[in-house]
Amino acid sequence: MADEMILSLDRVTRRFDISKPLLNRMIEGVGKQYLTATADVSLSIARGETFALVGESGSGKSTIAKMIMGLMPPSVGEIRFDGDLIDPRHGIARATRRRFQMIFQDPFASLNPRWRVGDIIAEPIRTFALMPKTEVAGEVARLLEVVGLAPRDAEKYPHEFSGGQRQRIAIARALSSKPEFIVCDEPTSALDVSVQAQILNLMRDLQDAYGLTYLLISHDLSVVRHMADRIGVLYLGRLVEVAPSADLFAAPQHPYTRMLLDAVPDLTRVGARARAVVGEIPNPISPPSGCAFHPRCPLAQDICKTTAPEARSLGDRGRSVACHMVDGAA
Amino acid sequence: MSEPLLSLRDVVVEFPTRRGVLRALDGISLDVNAGEVLGLVGESGAGKSMIGSAIIGLIAPPGRIASGEIRLSGQRIDNLGPSQMRALRGKRIGMVFQDPLTSLNPLYTIADQLVETIRTHLPVTAAEARAQAIALLDRVGIPAAAQRIDDYPHHFSGGMRQRVVIALALCAQPDLVIADEPTTALDVSVQAQIIDLLKDICAERGAAVVLITHDMGVIAQTADRVAVVYAGRMAEIGPVSDVIHRPAHPYTRGLMGSIPSLREERARLVQIPGAMPRLDAISAGCAFHPRCDVATAACATTRPAMTHLVSAQKGEQSADRFAACLLLDHTAREGGEHGG
Repeated sequence: MADEMILSLDRVTRRFDISKPLLNRMIEGVGKQYLTATADVSLSIARGETFALVGESGSGKSTIAKMIMGLMPPSVGEIRFDGDLIDPRHGIARATRRRFQMIFQDPFASLNPRWRVGDIIAEPIRTFALMPKTEVAGEVARLLEVVGLAPRDAEKYPHEFSGGQRQRIAIARALSSKPEFIVCDEPTSALDVSVQAQILNLMRDLQDAYGLTYLLISHDLSVVRHMADRIGVLYLGRLVEVAPSADLFAAPQHPYTRMLLDAVPDLTRVGARARAVVGEIPNPISPPSGCAFHPRCPLAQDICKTTAPEARSLGDRGRSVACHMVDGAA
Repeated sequence: MSEPLLSLRDVVVEFPTRRGVLRALDGISLDVNAGEVLGLVGESGAGKSMIGSAIIGLIAPPGRIASGEIRLSGQRIDNLGPSQMRALRGKRIGMVFQDPLTSLNPLYTIADQLVETIRTHLPVTAAEARAQAIALLDRVGIPAAAQRIDDYPHHFSGGMRQRVVIALALCAQPDLVIADEPTTALDVSVQAQIIDLLKDICAERGAAVVLITHDMGVIAQTADRVAVVYAGRMAEIGPVSDVIHRPAHPYTRGLMGSIPSLREERARLVQIPGAMPRLDAISAGCAFHPRCDVATAACATTRPAMTHLVSAQKGEQSADRFAACLLLDHTAREGGEHGG
């Protein structure tokens, strides 16, 4: 793709050591155990786009978000933000760190209940020393108006606000360091649909106004459809398909993506029944051999049980699929 | 129409507090027919779950049903004593709750819990109850039910646990199942399995279902009729395709517009300004009028009654469609109130 890439993940793997203590291992004669939360994920996000990661619980969505935010290092592979390596083991330059921010799922947990809203929003400005102290209050008032709250709300505490208003405060805080890239981890899952619509509309308006790039993490496919330009589908920590949003919903290629789209209940299908996905997501501690999806896959052949498929490009619209059974000519 | 299986008439639930009495439910009337799936939708705090609690008599004190009546097959159940109510719960009304881990006792095997419930309500021996339990687990899709029945709840995944809970709710062959957010704690791929199962198994046993959820997608694919609840009051009730595609109440319209669709591209979501009022701050007149984009002066003073709608195309009363709004299109309106 010709667009300028703002973020790239190159074969990123993250393992967690979940072994029993040494003595137990010796007594029980068991070895070390690892949980692979993210396996060999490569993707890049272009400046100004919304890239969404979808997947079920335990598919590694949030692990990827944490690594991108520099909150944990990848076990293998590297993450680069506009060319700079993001790895907490090597430290991240403040000038770089200012440029990406995060919005969390639960606005009841992500705001310090003992701080005034004005201080919450001003913290990134103060931390990064972005402006003289005398101007901070004015900037906070401006940010509150940008997200649809009143400047006088700076004096209040988080408990005085509803869930949707709190999420607006969290967005104002994320915007205060003038970032270019925002990771939104399930930004509306804790909200009611009518409030969700307000927040999604606000996120789009802000993207238009400031040229923001979003990484949207969600399990809600209709939210993803509404917001994303491109979508990556995760299954058991593996990226099984990446495609432009319209293409993915029009013609999902990977068997898992197809199952997932068929399973989601939707307003437009009154009375129609969803085709249920067969089986459940396997235990990530001992994932199936070969392609992780093969035990649930209707198309699985012998090769799927032994060889993990590599991501292959499909067409010229930046689409890729990791499946032995999907025809490259599609 | 024959007598409905479940009928609520002007049910009011109140919670006395130090600052005054809060009305959690205010004049809820609805009917559920045998074998039907009625969806209850609304935002958090609208009172969906409170309706479920009122039906099964599990409103936490000091909350109480202050007025109105609830009938099951014509018999009043809102004024039963605790022991009579206990005999009814599980036997005639089954329940499926949101979190399958908390609705199973972690210290007892699945067999213990199913056999206990079956024997509490049905006159069978322990061996018969166990055989029934295995058949039921098999029916709800637990593989190797005869072996798995002796496992503990923690041996099962979330989806499998919810299957066990459904088996538990159905084991005494109830006439009515109340399912409160049965799939909210589950992943989408498993959610569809559970909804299909609940719908199929209730249909084959002729049990009616009251399905409480905030997910309109689930309602669209499962329910026969849907009731929209706002601030403890009924906004609209009707056949599911009518309510979704031709909502009559402005709140329902806003709600449907605010849901992103999987299959239609929508540039901008409809946005209802503000949020649902707290129970101690419900305005006079129509509870929705401060957020309503078509509200008139009358809406602030006059509380709208549930009004029978007339189908716009045919000019005849469409079965079972009611909405509570003063501004319903006059052609789509018929005089009578939703009385009895």
